[in-house]
Amino acid sequence: MTTTSAKLLKLALPLIRTHGFTRDALSLSVLSLPTPLAHPLPDASVTALFGPGDDARRTLVHAWLDDAKRRMKEEAAENMGIGDVLKARLRSNEPVLEHLPEAFALLASSSPLPLPLLPVDPTPIIKHAAQVSNQACWIVHSDARESSWYTRRASISAIYLAAELHQLTSPKTAPAFLDSLLENAEQAGKALDETTLFANYVWKSWRGIVKSSGVLV
Amino acid sequence: MQATRSIRLPRKLSACRLIHNHSILRSSDPSGRTTSFGFRTVPEESKESLVKGVFDSVASKYDLMNDASSLGVHRLWKDSFVDTLKPGRKGPLRCIDVAGGTGDIALRILDHARENYADRETTVEIVDINAQMLKEGFTRFKKTMYHNTPQVSFHEANAQELPASQFKNDSYDLYTITFGIRNCTSIPAVLSEAYRVLKPGATFACLEFSKVNNPLLSTLYDQYSFTVIPLLGTILAGDRDSYQYLVESIRKFPSQPEFAQMIRDAGFSTGGDFDGGAWTDLWGGIASIHTGVKI
Repeated sequence: MTTTSAKLLKLALPLIRTHGFTRDALSLSVLSLPTPLAHPLPDASVTALFGPGDDARRTLVHAWLDDAKRRMKEEAAENMGIGDVLKARLRSNEPVLEHLPEAFALLASSSPLPLPLLPVDPTPIIKHAAQVSNQACWIVHSDARESSWYTRRASISAIYLAAELHQLTSPKTAPAFLDSLLENAEQAGKALDETTLFANYVWKSWRGIVKSSGVLV
Repeated sequence: MQATRSIRLPRKLSACRLIHNHSILRSSDPSGRTTSFGFRTVPEESKESLVKGVFDSVASKYDLMNDASSLGVHRLWKDSFVDTLKPGRKGPLRCIDVAGGTGDIALRILDHARENYADRETTVEIVDINAQMLKEGFTRFKKTMYHNTPQVSFHEANAQELPASQFKNDSYDLYTITFGIRNCTSIPAVLSEAYRVLKPGATFACLEFSKVNNPLLSTLYDQYSFTVIPLLGTILAGDRDSYQYLVESIRKFPSQPEFAQMIRDAGFSTGGDFDGGAWTDLWGGIASIHTGVKI
C-alpha cells in the first residue's frame, strides 16, 4: 500500500456511512484531500489504486476493520474489563451497521479457490474475530499462559462473533447478549477448571495406591 | 485521412515507438550518452536509426509475427488490458493511445465503451512516431464504424516529447501504451510526458513484456524466445536479426517493481509493489499491466 492509497483509504472511511463499502466511496475520497480534485476518481483510477471489481471494496473493508482495531486501543480506558472492551468494539460498528452484512459477505466470498469448490470462505471472518479477541486480551492485560492463552482467545473470538452476529439483527440487545455469553463462558470455564482439578486428584490418588501396592516395583 | 500529422520531429528526437529498448547508460563515450540496443550498448544517436531499421523491416508483417510468436496470446492480453480499464463505464473518456499505430488498443477501447456501456462519445487519439504504423492503423479503422468520426484521430509524434501545443497539459482521462515503452530511448521522459498530459485523477496504463518469476516457466520461455521467435522471423518475415533483437529488448526491460518505481518517480501514485497492486502479471509475468494515477 503506497502513501497515497493509504491516505485516500483513510479519507474514504467517513464516506462508508453514506456510500457503504463501495467503489464510489473510494472514488469520492479525492474530494476530501487538502487540495481536492475537481472530480471524483474515474473508475480506472480506483482499479489502479485499490484493485479491480470487488477487490477494491475488500480493500476498503480491511481498512475499516484495521481502523476499528486501532480505535479499540486508542479509546481503551484504565481498568476496563473484557466485556467493556468488546462492547466498545461493538459500538464502533453502529454507524455502518446497515453495510456490515454486505462487508462480511464480501470477505467471505474472497476465496482463492474456484466458487464451486468453496463458495463461502469463512477464514477472513474467523480471522477478524481472532484479531478483535487478541486486541481485547492485550488491552485488559490477560494473564492467560500456555494453553489457556489460546483457549481464552478462542472462547472470546467465538463470543464476539456471536455477539456481532446478534448485533446485525438486534443492535439494541447486543450488549446484554454479549454479557450473558461472557458470564456463561466464565461459568463453563470455572466448571472446566474444577473438573480438571478433580481429575488431577483422582489421578494422583490412583498413582499413590498403585505405588504403595508395590505392583510397579 | 483524418490523421493529424502533428509535426515532423528532428532526427535526434524521434526515438520512440518501435524503437527497441530504453535504458539510458552513462559512459565515458565522447559523445556522452549510450543506450542498450538489445544486448548491445550503442550511442543514443545510433539507436534511433538501428531501431527504425528493425521496424521498417518488420512493419508489414508486424501483426502476423505477433500472432505467430505469441500463438495469438497477445490478443488475449490486449483484451484483458482494456477490460481492466473498463473505458466508458462511468461516462465518456478522452483517451490517448501512445505507440498505438496499428490501432489495436484504440479499437478495443472504442468497442468496449460502445458494446458494454452504449458509449459513442469516448474518443481515442492514436499517437505513433512511425508513419507506416499509423497508416496500417488508419487502414484498419476504415473498415470500422469509427472511420471519419470524431471518436478517433491519428497523430505522428514522439512519446518522449509530445508537442505541448497539440497535446495540452491536464487534458486526457486515460493514457495507454502497449508493447511500446520498452522501445523508447528514455522511459522516464515518456512517463513524464504521460504525467503532463493526463488530468488530475486520470490513469496511466501500460501493457508490456516483463519478467517471469517462476524458474521453470522462465527457462521454458527463454528457450522459446531465443530459438523459436527468431526462427519464425526468418520464416515469416525473412528477417532473423530484427526478431532476435526484439527478444533481447524484452530481456532488458526493467522488472515489475523497478518499472513501478519509475512510474512513481514520474509523479504517479500506484498500488502496492505486488502482483495485483502496482501491476498485474499476465501468464506468470510474461507480460504485465502497470497502472498509475495522477493525484
